[in-house]
Amino acid sequence: MKKKVIGLIDSGSGNIGSIKKSISNIIENKPYQLQIIKTKKDFNNIDKIILPGQGAFATLMENLHKKNLYTQLLKLIKELSIPYLGICVGMQILATYGYENKKIKGLDIIKGEIIKFKKKNLIIPHMGWNTIKLKNKNIVFDQTTDLKDFYFVHSYYFKGVNSKNVTATTKYSNNFPSVVNIGNVYGVQFHPEKSHKEGSKIIKNFIFKS
Amino acid sequence: MLKVRIIPCLDIIKNKVVKGVNFKNIKVLGDPVHLARKYSDNGADELCMLDIKASHEKRKTFLKTVEAIAKVIDIPLTVGGGVSDIKDITTLLNAGADKVSINTTAVLNPNLIKISSLKHGSQCIVVAIDGKRYGKKMLVTIKGGRERTNKTVVSWAKNVQNLGAGELLVTSMDTDGIQTGFDKEMLIAINKAVNIPVIASGGVGELKHFKEGYKTRSTGLLAASVFHTSKFSIQQVKKFLKEEGVPVRI
Repeated sequence: MKKKVIGLIDSGSGNIGSIKKSISNIIENKPYQLQIIKTKKDFNNIDKIILPGQGAFATLMENLHKKNLYTQLLKLIKELSIPYLGICVGMQILATYGYENKKIKGLDIIKGEIIKFKKKNLIIPHMGWNTIKLKNKNIVFDQTTDLKDFYFVHSYYFKGVNSKNVTATTKYSNNFPSVVNIGNVYGVQFHPEKSHKEGSKIIKNFIFKS
Repeated sequence: MLKVRIIPCLDIIKNKVVKGVNFKNIKVLGDPVHLARKYSDNGADELCMLDIKASHEKRKTFLKTVEAIAKVIDIPLTVGGGVSDIKDITTLLNAGADKVSINTTAVLNPNLIKISSLKHGSQCIVVAIDGKRYGKKMLVTIKGGRERTNKTVVSWAKNVQNLGAGELLVTSMDTDGIQTGFDKEMLIAINKAVNIPVIASGGVGELKHFKEGYKTRSTGLLAASVFHTSKFSIQQVKKFLKEEGVPVRI
């Protein structure tokens, strides 16, 4: 039987070590294999895509363009409906625009903007474990994921998302969308790969169920 | 609601977890990988590990320990001790650290904070501040508290925040190792001056000390001996804090 291929994008900004380790543990002895995506041709035969964004919004977008990954990524997600899981900045680039350092266009798959937490004297980044509150269930985020804690590290959040695309919210000064979804596309603001068993469950659900 | 982070710290010499910073009577407390896995499974929110006797020839052993620990835990890992340049930071991140803590080098070469946070992102650069009282002044010390500087902890904390540090790890040399509780005065003063997360370190001996640490606005509470000697389990600390109304991840 042909193994399903999980594509993990290495954009060059940040370390993919922990997510790589998580995926490898999850698919061990299962009919799946991991493919690290560094160039356009690495996308061949991919069944699912995970983008573990680290670093700034602008840097990630620039790297996707520079490495010629941008067009193929959009095509796979939008036209071929390949399941996509974006983590942290990998979620944020789904937006129309990001404002980290400068205004820059995102993938525009989920309408909205990425802006900084504004409240005066708020501790930034939002760093640590916080709860997600489920708003819309889907196959990755089922009832058992409601009100669970996950590990967050970020200073910017997704604003103006249509409520039907908000899977879950989290409260840090204000309520913000911590999980978004549109069809085959999932985005999580937290780091499932650093969120112990609850986080591992999310990655499993994405790999095995989406 | 954001939960306070309970962070066990592994002080490491030659692939062994040892007690404290007193180099004269080093007491081996356990195997780092074994303890790391135990803490991660028992509900630690992050893990910290420090190469407390960092030396060039022992560095490879330490890096192997970092790799081994990163493999068995799935919570964030902060690594520090002996970081002298941007290369060391990159090497530790590649070995599996999520954050790297810099201390003496940050004081001697503050530009490293700026360069490293630009290169790797502020979220993975932690500046460790070892504070100590000299008269009424709380000053920054370096080289494991052996050398004083003329910087006050508050001015240095503001400075490193401006340079791009994503977090502070504040240890009071006046309370460290004596289990009388965190240095509340120092932590409150620093927390008032900055808006980046602060990890409180040094002095935990009783359960109530964790609550006192939380009250200083610190979002991370670090302890070593009380966990390694099994005086308290992570779950015991969290259960206590929950009953006291402090938000924790159970």
